[in-house]
Amino acid sequence: MVKILPAYLYLYTQKLQINLILIMQRRSAIKNLTLAVGGLVSLPAWASRWTPDSIGKVSTSVVSEDNQMILAEIVETIIPETSTPGAKSLKVNQFIMRMVNDCYGEPVQSNFKKGLTLIDDLAKQSYGKAFTSCDALQKADVFNKMRKSDDTSAKQFTNMVKNLTIQGYMNSEYVLVNLLNYNMAPGFYHGCVPIGK
Amino acid sequence: MSFLNIDSVKNRTFDAIVVGSGISGGWAAKELTDKGLRTLVLERGRDVKHITDYPTTMMNPWEFEHLGQLPKAIKDANPIVSRCYAFNEDAAHFFVKDAEHPYVQEKPFDWIRGYQVGGKSLMWARGTQRWSEQDFDGPARDGFAVDWPIRYADLAPWYSHVEKFAGISGNRDGIPQLPDGEFLPPHEMSCVEKHFSEQTAKHYNNTRPIIIGRCAHLTKPQPIHYQQGRGQCQNRSLCQRGCPYGGYFSSNSSTLPWAQKSGKMTLQPDSVVHSIIFDEKKNKATGVRVIDAHTNQMTEYYAKIIFLNAATMNTNLILLNSKSHRFPTGFGNDNGLLGKYLAFHNFRTTISAEYEGFLDSTSEGIRPNSSYIPRFRNFFKQETDFLRGYAAGFGSTRMLDNDLSGIGEDLKTNLTAKKYGNWRVGSHMMGETIPKESNYVTLDSNLKDTWGIPQLKISVSYDDNDEKMIVDFHEQMTEMLTKAGFKNVKTHDVPSKAPGLDIHEMGGVRMGKDPKTSMLNKWNQFHNCKNVFVTDGACMTSTSTQNPSLTFMAITARAADHAVKELRKGNL
Repeated sequence: MVKILPAYLYLYTQKLQINLILIMQRRSAIKNLTLAVGGLVSLPAWASRWTPDSIGKVSTSVVSEDNQMILAEIVETIIPETSTPGAKSLKVNQFIMRMVNDCYGEPVQSNFKKGLTLIDDLAKQSYGKAFTSCDALQKADVFNKMRKSDDTSAKQFTNMVKNLTIQGYMNSEYVLVNLLNYNMAPGFYHGCVPIGK
Repeated sequence: MSFLNIDSVKNRTFDAIVVGSGISGGWAAKELTDKGLRTLVLERGRDVKHITDYPTTMMNPWEFEHLGQLPKAIKDANPIVSRCYAFNEDAAHFFVKDAEHPYVQEKPFDWIRGYQVGGKSLMWARGTQRWSEQDFDGPARDGFAVDWPIRYADLAPWYSHVEKFAGISGNRDGIPQLPDGEFLPPHEMSCVEKHFSEQTAKHYNNTRPIIIGRCAHLTKPQPIHYQQGRGQCQNRSLCQRGCPYGGYFSSNSSTLPWAQKSGKMTLQPDSVVHSIIFDEKKNKATGVRVIDAHTNQMTEYYAKIIFLNAATMNTNLILLNSKSHRFPTGFGNDNGLLGKYLAFHNFRTTISAEYEGFLDSTSEGIRPNSSYIPRFRNFFKQETDFLRGYAAGFGSTRMLDNDLSGIGEDLKTNLTAKKYGNWRVGSHMMGETIPKESNYVTLDSNLKDTWGIPQLKISVSYDDNDEKMIVDFHEQMTEMLTKAGFKNVKTHDVPSKAPGLDIHEMGGVRMGKDPKTSMLNKWNQFHNCKNVFVTDGACMTSTSTQNPSLTFMAITARAADHAVKELRKGNL
C-alpha cells in the first residue's frame, strides 16, 4: 500500500542506496552483503527523490509577494553572493517565510510585516528609492541603520531576519556539503585531534 | 461475553500473551518464542516496520521544512509532549500527541509516550548501565520502600544474556558503581573529558570515576547481530528517527523480527488492552480483554501466562482497571498498594563550564553517546543529610568563536571559518528518587479515554530529598570542575520542569518478599496470581540512578525463563 505523506517526509532514495553500497564495500563477509541487500530490498515503495522545490510553494497569506522580494534582497545583503552562492540563490528567504508563517505567533508575524515596510520606507528616506532598487552598499547601509536604531521593533526585526538567514544558510545543501563536508553516513567521532590538520 | 464458536476461541488462544511491544515486551516476545511458546504480542499503537516505516531516517538537514523545528500550531496543541527534548520535526510522528490519550494531572507530570510497535525503544536515549550490588541493597540499607527480593548476583547472568544480543558498547572500567558487562568497543572520550576524569581521580582519591557512557550501539557487530539483520552503527546520531542500519538496539530492529522468524509470534497492533480476565474457579488469569483501536470492538484472548509490558504507567492503568469479584480494587490488589510507590529520576538541573586548556585540539564528528559520572554520593555508606545520590551525563565540545557581529562578505567568511574558542562542557543530573506511598496513580472516577477506559490520574512530585540532592549536585560538581581548572561554572536548575520528562517513571507494582507489602515476588509473578508477570518499569522496587532499560530487559529475560520452566512443571 502506498502511503500518502507530506512532501517533507519523502526520502532521498539515492542517498540511501549510496550509503548501503558503501557498507557493502566496507565489509568482506558475505552475510554483511546480504544484510545490505536486504536493506535495499525493503526500501519503502513511497520513497521518492527530494528536490529543493518539492518542499512546496511559500504561502503569501502573511507577507505579500512584493514584500517577499524585499526579504530576498535583505538575506542577500546579509550573506551576499561572492565566489560562492549567497543567501538569495540558496533560497534562504523561502526558509524564513516558512518559519514566519508556521513557527511564530501573530505578534512576531506582525512585527515581521512591519519591518519589511519599515526598511522600504527607510530606503526611500535615505536614497529616494525602493529598497529593492538600491545598490548593495545602500542596502547594507539601510539594514545597518535599522539594526542600530533605538526602535525596539526595528531591532527585533533585523535580529530575527539575521539569525534566520544564518540558520538557513548554514543548513543549506550547498554550505553543508561543499563548505562543511557534511556526510550523513558513515560518520565518525575523534575525541582529540590537533587543530588545522 | 460468551462465544459459541469453538474455533473462534481456539484461534484466540495462545500459550502466552505479551502486552506491549516496547523494550521489555520485545524481550518477552523473543524469550518466550525462543522457548517454543506460541505467543500473542498485543500493541495498542500502529505497526512500525523496521526501515520501511522510518520515513525521515535518510533526510538531510536541509530537507526539513523548518530545519527540525515544529510548527507553532503543533506545539500549541501539544504543550506536554512539546516539552520533550526529542519531539522535533524529524521524530514527532513517533510520539503520542496530548489529545490522543488525555490523563489527569493531580500534580504536574509530563507523561511522554510512544504508541506504536516498538514503543519508546525507537526513540530512547540508549544509555545502558548495569545496577550494582549497592543499588539492590539500597532500600534495605537506607530504610525506604521494601527490600528488593533479588540481588545483583540473581541478575548478573541475565545482564550478560541481553547485552550479548542487544549489543552494548562500553569500556571495562572495573568500578563497583557499574559492574562491567559484555562490551563491544567503547566510544572515545574527548581530551577535556579525559582531563576531568584524571583530575577528579587525583583530587578524590579514585572515589569519583568518570567514564565513557555505556550504550546500545553496534560499534563492532558480532555474528549474533548480523543474524538479526543489523549492521555497524554509522555514528549519524539520528537514532530517534529509527535506524536503517539497525545500529542501535530497538524492538523493531532486533527482538521482534527475531521472534517473528521463529514462526511462533503473532504480533497484533492497534489492540488496546482493557483488562485482565481472572477466573475464580481456576484461581488464575485466563486472558485479556482487548479493544480494537479503530472499531472499538472488544475481543477476549486467552493464554496460560500473561506478561504485562505496557510501560510503567499503562501497566498500572490496565491492572487498576482489571476489577473482578476476587479483586474489586484492581488486579492482585489485596494489600491496597497497587499504583503506589511510584518514582522517577530527577533530571531537573544541569551545569555548564568552560576550559581554557587544550586550545590546540578539538573533537571531530558526532558521537551518539556521552561521558558518564556514576553515583559517588552515599555509595558505600550514608554521608549526607539526604538519601541516595545521583549519576550524571557529561559532554564536551570545542566552541567556535567567530565574529558574527556584522553583515555582508565579512559575516559570510566568518561563518564557515573555524576560529575556535574555549572548550565548553555540560552535565545533567540523574537523581535517584525515593518511592513513597504519596506518589501514586489511580483511575479517575469520571473521565474516560477514547476507548471507554478510565483516564489515569497521576499524583507524583519532587520532595525535600530531591531538593537537597539538587543543591548537593551543584556544590559537588562545582567543586570538582573548579579543582580540575574549569572556569565560568554555571548551574541551571529549572524548578518548573515537572517529573516525567526524564521518561524514567517506575514502580506502582513493586517486587518484594512479603505479599503484605509488595505486589510481585522475586520472579515478577503476582504473589496472589502466579501466571501473571509484570516485567516493565512498573515492577521496580527502587530506581537507582542508572538508565533503566537494560535492567528491564534482564528482568524480563529472567522472568520468561522462570515462567517457561514453571509451565513445563505444570505449576502455572
